[in-house]
Amino acid sequence: MALSASFVLETQGILGARHVISEPEQLRVYECDGLTGHRAIPELVVLPGSTEDVQAVVQACNREGVPFVARGAGTGLSGGATPLAGGLVVSLARMNRILEIDLASQRIVVEPGVANLDVTRAVAGEGFFYAPDPSSQQVCTIGGNVAENSGGAHCLKNGFTAHHVTGVTLVLPDGELVELGGKALDPDGPDLLGVVVGSEGTLGIVTRITLRLVRAPEAVQTLLAGFETTDAAGAAVSGIIAGGILPSALEMMDRLTIEAAELAVAPGYPAGAGAILLVELDGVSAQVEEDAVEVERICAECGAFEIRAATNDLARSLLWKGRRSAFAAMGRVATDYYVQDGVVPRTRLPGVLRRIEELSELHGLRVGNVFHAGDGNLHPLVLYDAERGETQQARLLAEAILDACLDAGGSLTGEHGVGMDKACSMPRMFSERDLEVFGRLRRAFDPQGLCNPGKVIPTPRLCGEVPGPYRVHPLERMGVAERL
Amino acid sequence: MLTASVPLHRHEADARGSGVLTPLPRDGSGLDAPDGASERARSWHRPSSLEEASAALSAAHGDGRQLTIGEDLTTEGLDRILEHEAGDLTCTVEAGIRLSALQHALDENGQRLSLDPPGDPTVGALLARNLSGPLRHRFGAPRDLVLGVTLVLADGTIASAGGKVVKNVAGYDLARLVCGSEGRLALIARVSLRLHPLPKVERTLAVETDDAPSAISTLLRSQLQPSALDVLHPGGILVLFEGSARAVEAQIAAARGLVGGSEVGAEAWDVSRRRQAEASGRACFDPGRLRETLAELGEAVVRPAAGVAYSADDVPSRRPSQSETQRLLIERIRHELDPNGVLAA
Repeated sequence: MALSASFVLETQGILGARHVISEPEQLRVYECDGLTGHRAIPELVVLPGSTEDVQAVVQACNREGVPFVARGAGTGLSGGATPLAGGLVVSLARMNRILEIDLASQRIVVEPGVANLDVTRAVAGEGFFYAPDPSSQQVCTIGGNVAENSGGAHCLKNGFTAHHVTGVTLVLPDGELVELGGKALDPDGPDLLGVVVGSEGTLGIVTRITLRLVRAPEAVQTLLAGFETTDAAGAAVSGIIAGGILPSALEMMDRLTIEAAELAVAPGYPAGAGAILLVELDGVSAQVEEDAVEVERICAECGAFEIRAATNDLARSLLWKGRRSAFAAMGRVATDYYVQDGVVPRTRLPGVLRRIEELSELHGLRVGNVFHAGDGNLHPLVLYDAERGETQQARLLAEAILDACLDAGGSLTGEHGVGMDKACSMPRMFSERDLEVFGRLRRAFDPQGLCNPGKVIPTPRLCGEVPGPYRVHPLERMGVAERL
Repeated sequence: MLTASVPLHRHEADARGSGVLTPLPRDGSGLDAPDGASERARSWHRPSSLEEASAALSAAHGDGRQLTIGEDLTTEGLDRILEHEAGDLTCTVEAGIRLSALQHALDENGQRLSLDPPGDPTVGALLARNLSGPLRHRFGAPRDLVLGVTLVLADGTIASAGGKVVKNVAGYDLARLVCGSEGRLALIARVSLRLHPLPKVERTLAVETDDAPSAISTLLRSQLQPSALDVLHPGGILVLFEGSARAVEAQIAAARGLVGGSEVGAEAWDVSRRRQAEASGRACFDPGRLRETLAELGEAVVRPAAGVAYSADDVPSRRPSQSETQRLLIERIRHELDPNGVLAA
């Protein structure tokens, strides 16, 4: 489907010619997001500068029946921003202003193109921060975070994006404007804001976002414990939670990912460890000190053979160094890898990890595990060599791991989203009726089906296609983004 | 009983257009009290399984009848705890269980659902009316603690969304959607919830002041982490600290250093909850505009960080209100989920 010349002219009239991209070479920049296996060249890319611009463009799309997809920094890992052939990409990159900082209300109002970390940077001097911290936070945008309900390593205690967005201005798929929430919490009526956050750009385009700011904690302490096995580390995770301690982060790496990290950035983790746990505690000093002693005791009791503590930023960043580099470091031990994102109930971790080991042997491919242990969010890294024709086998293994997560009562995705990548896997977690009801909700927002179609809910057309393998994203190669 | 105030108030609200003032059930259980319902002309349903609930609703859908959840259809027969994984700090319950019964069962494992509204609502009513109490300050509203739901739509369709794990972004968040839906989108039949460990120690500081906004501002700018922070307007502030003995002691001392006050028993919070229950209106405000808001309010319980006030008198300028576009959007959702208007009464 080609867009009519009059449609292109109309968008140029709305935005100015320089904010409308139609040159094939320039369009290619937008062909994929962080899920590089899915690619499509959009027909047109527009860069609105205001809510009114977005409204005008969406109204034109609605009138002409042109599908559109909103895009932030393109770091998403589920193909949520993969363009639609014949459609429009609405890039929010120009809408990157911080509109209001209201410390008295502990709120900040931003445009969708503002980078996640820039929110914290804007208020850090006053002793505040923005809590959700996806690993791509240097570049990923708040608009994308809202679409994906992004998490991060520190969401165990602080919650996800949905817990920190208090209001949005939303351009509905027909171009109507609606304000949801604001600076106050608990508006009347059904929680539409809660539905829009995490809807993966399928219910409209958010053009203004009010976020909660959190006061920086009095104390932060980070502990690193080395264990012989993931079973022992898993027992420590259970012990910490059962002890009534809620760390801000609770991360695990297994032997393979530790080895890769040592090769890549030499964090100097405990030699010979089969698993390490990273535990970060924050809050009032007295509580943090007490919890740290308790966490050390639990780890030792579960067989930790070495425990290190960090109380300042420099020492802390050393402990985190290997964890932060873990995904990129896999390049040291494999030519290709596929990142899975599944969730299991925390208590099922040890069993599921053993199952992953079995599946790994069964499929003849190695799997590294680095994950948010505190909330049961696994990121198994399936290692393979595309040149040796292992791609299909890797996909099968990744899907078998997902099945193991679902069998344990977990979820298809904890933070990367469904997007294009997992739309066809949705029937493994949801019944046909569940999906049909999702469809009804979507239709209420987008009766014409123009807003990011083909994502989230499986369609026969989509699910007949086999996506390509994972490839390193240009931003990763540049060292700007990493996968955590 | 104020149970009749739910539909009654809706008519008032509709007549007034978009200026919606949220009614507050005195006992917090408005949606699920069946009293007198059996005497009504309309049929009354008390399903004890998802299938029975589905049959009751689809029959009404087919016959063109209307049902009001909590009156014509009660969830009191759906009151079981289906799963409580203490190690996961999650549970899945049928929506008719009373909050007190759930808390009692969780307490045996040293855990709680961190929601403490006045009265003893069912879990379904907790969500449908978006009820919270003083703990809202730190732990949020139902929408912040719900992990998944099973709904029965008006046409009898049984559908689930979310899950039972604390981290999950698969599919649309219908669990949040029904929070605040007042029983008018679907029947909430099952709910999965995030739990918290019971604190080892809890202590309360009461501050008497004629300048609550300054004291609140000081506390919110400090690094203290109270679990609850209520303004009992006019003149009082209550602060709850939870945690280990030593940490709570330290926080109480630090808070007293900042804003003064003296320690009181936990029953002080009953005053707060009672005032909330007796309030006839609710106001929403930008948290930074506490001073201006208090100046307009008579007796009230105010949750300053949330920007919510439960007041004895109606403050028209601060009613939470919906725009026309928002109302139309909700109507479209309602039309998709309940095309025959079974739950529209």
